[in-house]
Amino acid sequence: MNVEIDLTARERVPRWLSYATPVLTVLAALAVSAVVLLVIDVNPIEAYRLMLIETPTSEIGMADTLITTVPLVLAGLAVYLPLKAGLFNIGAEGQLVIGALAGSWVGLNVSLPGVALVPLMLLTAGIAGGALAAIPAWLRAKYDVNEIITSLLLSFVALQILSYMVRGPMRGSSGNFPQTDRFSAAATIPELFMRVHLGLAIALLIVVFTYLLMTRTRLGFEITFIGSNDEAAEQAGMSRYKVYLLVFILGGAFAGIGGISEISGVQGRLRAGFEPGYGFTAIPIALLGRNSAIKVLLASLFFALLFTGGTNMEIFLGIPAALVEVIQALIILFLITGEFFKRYRIDFTVERDPTPTPSETAGGDA
Amino acid sequence: MPESAFLEMQNILKEFPGVVANDHVDLQVERGEIHGLLGENGAGKSTLMKILYGLYSQDEGDIYLDGRRLELDSPQDAIDAGIGMVHQHFQLIPRLSVAQNVVLGEREPATLFRSDGESRLPEAVRSNGVVQALARRFSLGLDVPTQRIDDLADQYGFDIDATAKIWELDVGQQQRVEILKALYRDADLLILDEPTAVLTPAEAERLFDSLERLTEEGLAIIFITHKLNEVQSVVDRVTILREGKNVGTATVSEVTQADLAEMMVGREVLFNVEKDGVELGEPVLQLQNIHADNDRGIESLSGIDLTVRAGEVVGIAGVSGNGQKELAEVAAGLRRLTDGSITVGGTDLTGAKPKRFVNNDVSFVPEDRLRYGCAEDLSVMHNAAMKEFTDERFGSQMGLDYRELAAYAEELVEEFDVRGVRDVTETNAGDLSGGNLQKLILARELARDPDLLVANQPTRGVDVGAIEFIRETLLEQRTDGTGIVLLSEDLDEITDLSDRILVIYEGEFVYETTPEAADRDRIGLEMTGGASTDAATAESPQPIATGQDGEP
Repeated sequence: MNVEIDLTARERVPRWLSYATPVLTVLAALAVSAVVLLVIDVNPIEAYRLMLIETPTSEIGMADTLITTVPLVLAGLAVYLPLKAGLFNIGAEGQLVIGALAGSWVGLNVSLPGVALVPLMLLTAGIAGGALAAIPAWLRAKYDVNEIITSLLLSFVALQILSYMVRGPMRGSSGNFPQTDRFSAAATIPELFMRVHLGLAIALLIVVFTYLLMTRTRLGFEITFIGSNDEAAEQAGMSRYKVYLLVFILGGAFAGIGGISEISGVQGRLRAGFEPGYGFTAIPIALLGRNSAIKVLLASLFFALLFTGGTNMEIFLGIPAALVEVIQALIILFLITGEFFKRYRIDFTVERDPTPTPSETAGGDA
Repeated sequence: MPESAFLEMQNILKEFPGVVANDHVDLQVERGEIHGLLGENGAGKSTLMKILYGLYSQDEGDIYLDGRRLELDSPQDAIDAGIGMVHQHFQLIPRLSVAQNVVLGEREPATLFRSDGESRLPEAVRSNGVVQALARRFSLGLDVPTQRIDDLADQYGFDIDATAKIWELDVGQQQRVEILKALYRDADLLILDEPTAVLTPAEAERLFDSLERLTEEGLAIIFITHKLNEVQSVVDRVTILREGKNVGTATVSEVTQADLAEMMVGREVLFNVEKDGVELGEPVLQLQNIHADNDRGIESLSGIDLTVRAGEVVGIAGVSGNGQKELAEVAAGLRRLTDGSITVGGTDLTGAKPKRFVNNDVSFVPEDRLRYGCAEDLSVMHNAAMKEFTDERFGSQMGLDYRELAAYAEELVEEFDVRGVRDVTETNAGDLSGGNLQKLILARELARDPDLLVANQPTRGVDVGAIEFIRETLLEQRTDGTGIVLLSEDLDEITDLSDRILVIYEGEFVYETTPEAADRDRIGLEMTGGASTDAATAESPQPIATGQDGEP
């Protein structure tokens, strides 16, 4: 039997396919996940109804989804902007954490009225995130050091600094937990509606800002060009150095703001391990939404739904958290694979040789 | 006389969405001939050959080789039928030896599993069908009959050591390895896709010699090109394609270059462009004692002095790799100097960033279009505005008006007759053919009305119609008072366009002349360093009495 697999790049993606792909891939992922659910004796239809229909339509579920969207979309933009300039920022996690840490320090140690304190916290968080992101960008622009590795490793540095600070200098007075004191009312980001805090509005403003930056400004033109062919761009007089630093610092600042809004707007105190790796989830978000900042927002909403819907499945159906993560991961994997199939066509050809009898086989090889 | 030709392609039709790439094309090739396939970019040459090599399948029509009808579903079928193809971009693995590369496509299983010959595996295991099938798929035998390959190389006069690694070979030798690959698989018909595009003139001559030997052995060769002088020097018969149709087949000795060009382009082509007299203005570029390294850190410009005045075309001739690329990059501000100074229009720009060169009205047409000239994944609009987007008319300060950009791009596309653009914001630069992309780049660089234009190989890989257009445009720009540095390996181009000719050899100017006084043999000799054994010649750029004494 002879199986041939032919992989050819599509010259043009058919219109129906570009719309059908995300739907079909999510359905396929759900079908595979259904097997997992059946094994532990949960009705998959009920589970999916809870995750994908009940969560976004119930008031609590929608609020939770929107709250989770804030750090996700900001971290997503932190990956998206460098991606447009042809760089991979794998360190949004670290930038988010360091922003949360620096902002929390200001929130706990500076006494000002809320109208001044919250903006100062956001600003500090942005500066801290931007500063951490500047390191891999500068190393890349100046010495051509691979930014994937440096930004990733700096994330672990940031996580360890956080771990030290909440156990040491910033540990709260109440007991031995690795966490700070509760924020004062002045240091809390005010609520907009149904527990959703002002951070959502800030995040949306930043999405609009990024969208305008990329589609309406000279800088956006330069970022796009350098991301596509940096050598031609330099020939045209654009500066790689400037653009590399800019996209990383802006991105890092966004992630930092995302970090502090999660702490100040939702959790009220800084803890070690306060978030389930939003900065890493930001990578598939940016990859899915790489065509525009608006698409990054849509991808973030979807991932936020996966997070909150997953938690609901855990609570109401008793599905173990690990399995919820399996389902989330399957959906992400299918989505990314789906993108691939959208751009490539795969042909299978199976040729069946006439089944050789054993004597023929021996004779044929002699 | 055989009744039908060795290769018969009959009535081949191939349609792509919206385009008829081959419109009922016939092609006959005899044994022992070099058959040229001539046509502009996009005329359907490559499509026809891809059909013959099994990469595409035709919508209609038949292919017969030696009287047998061929069903070609893949290159493997074509190879089995005795058809070999040398692609423009070599398909070699640099780290492997010549011999290994030659046998790579044979997909022999590793020796351990071979049913013949020595092996430690017991015969019963080796001859098992399943083991054989697995071995053929998942193991690869690279232990090869070096001797056989050496013999084959000798037979055709290729000076190639079968044990050498590919990366050690120069481009000409690598190409011969490609040919060897086809010969090793007993090709009777060899397709060469623009084989000289990557070769220096001397290497091309060697290739032509090799090809003639191959035809003496009875091979048929299809030679794809769009260079007329190559057709004249090596091809026996030529078939011309235009817009997917077969315009005719001619015996080369019976037609002139002008006839061929007319068949190819569909109208009369002027080879000699008229040059108006232009009064020279102020110097726009002054290079003094320029030293610079190449990418590998080896000095490749050793003391270049050059002054270009407004309205002057300075042609720089030389064999590739003698510092032209570096010189062009220095003049465009892209390469760091190790010594010397550079002044553009009276401003000292020694050590300045590319941006300052752009702002001082320097335009650059790079040799490597895809690498430095454009971003192939971005739209025509992006590429057309690559330099001008900073201009005030596209918005004040930070903002950028994309509608204005698109309008500007449309203007350039219109004015410079860039074809194949459906929508400037949707068609990508990489979708354009070589000639049209070059026109787009030229449009971008000239629309800025530069004081200095550095053009490196502006017509390389471009079809005849576009060459004519590009040359005329360059001369128009000269009349408008732009100083032009023209680097080209095409001596005709240099002599046709230049006001002054400089020959570069090993990073220095070794000879200066004018087109009127130019002696082609002398230039050729200087280009190859033939006259530099005479110490005085290398020292001074003055023309010295012509003579053959420099030749060893």
